[in-house]
Amino acid sequence: MMLEAYAAGKRDEIHTDVLLKARQACYKARDAFYSCLEMQSDKKPTEIGSVGLLYPTECKRSRDEYVMNCRASWVKHFDRQYCKTKRTQRLLDDRETRRGIMELFGSVV
Amino acid sequence: MLISRFIFFSANRRLARAPNLLQRFGPSKRIQSCGYVKSAKNNYKKPTSHPVMNVETQSSRSWSAYVIPAALLGFGGLVAFLHYNDERRAIKKGQGNNRGYGAVAAPIIGGPFTLVNTENQIVNEQDFLGNWVLLYFGYTSSPDIGPDQAQMMAEAIDTLESKENLKVLPVFVTIDPQRDTPAQLRAYLKEFDPRIVGLTGPVSAVRQMAQEYRVFFRKVEEEGDDYLVESSHNMYLLDPKMKVVRFFGLEYNAEELSKEILKELKKHQPKAE
Repeated sequence: MMLEAYAAGKRDEIHTDVLLKARQACYKARDAFYSCLEMQSDKKPTEIGSVGLLYPTECKRSRDEYVMNCRASWVKHFDRQYCKTKRTQRLLDDRETRRGIMELFGSVV
Repeated sequence: MLISRFIFFSANRRLARAPNLLQRFGPSKRIQSCGYVKSAKNNYKKPTSHPVMNVETQSSRSWSAYVIPAALLGFGGLVAFLHYNDERRAIKKGQGNNRGYGAVAAPIIGGPFTLVNTENQIVNEQDFLGNWVLLYFGYTSSPDIGPDQAQMMAEAIDTLESKENLKVLPVFVTIDPQRDTPAQLRAYLKEFDPRIVGLTGPVSAVRQMAQEYRVFFRKVEEEGDDYLVESSHNMYLLDPKMKVVRFFGLEYNAEELSKEILKELKKHQPKAE
């Protein structure tokens, strides 16, 4: 039966980069990077992250830490989530000051 | 032989074409002929127009006389039927069923399954009969939601056991069986709670169980071996007969979860006795 074959033949490798310690390290690096972004929000974003996230050169080091500590798919997932929250925040906050839709959708950060 | 057949065939085709050509001139002739016929008809009609028209109008009037009352009756019948139907279906005030959101009424979710647990043993739903089960479909490589839900499950189970002395068995079924081997599941779930039972298996078995429990899952952001699994996040509460009693979405936290589970258990206690 297929199940017996499955039970017998699976390799014993464990992906440790999703276990608790790795997850916590990833969350810490991610939070450090995003707080860096918040602090340097007045600087011009020149570097390109993933899924359209732009960040200034000052945050490059925390970005590298972040990418090193987390899986690529996780980096993309968190970046996408961050951009989404940023965008909705901007929509809610600067309704009066912002002019035109293109500004909102031109840059993501 | 073939050649003669070909010639015959082509001859036929040519003959068929010839009448087409004739027909092209035909319509013009026909129009004229129609014109003739029409005028002839008109001529014939005029002298006898009055009696013919009288008969026609009389017949049309009697026919229309029946149409309008029939239509009215039909409409009235339809209205009466709808009204009767409404009365029949109406729930009288104060009698509605207060089952609350999340209760599974008619569709029977769930079914038999056969999977492998973290000790590499084959497990099917018969092994869980007699226990209340909190079932979650997740995967170990989930960035944030998976760990949160597993943590919540562990906390709720803990609360229930310590405060109310109720044993609910938490089960974590992986929707990513290709990467989540039994060893992987064991290492992952051990960090939350040793009581959580991890289930995995060949892709077809997992897919079948997910279908029975109406769980949607799909690989996204695939880059070789690194992907995320998008899924419908739901936690199912099953009674000792392995019937789905309630499902919980992402909006519950550990306290609310334990409170709701307690409510369901209390509801079922008198029935059991």
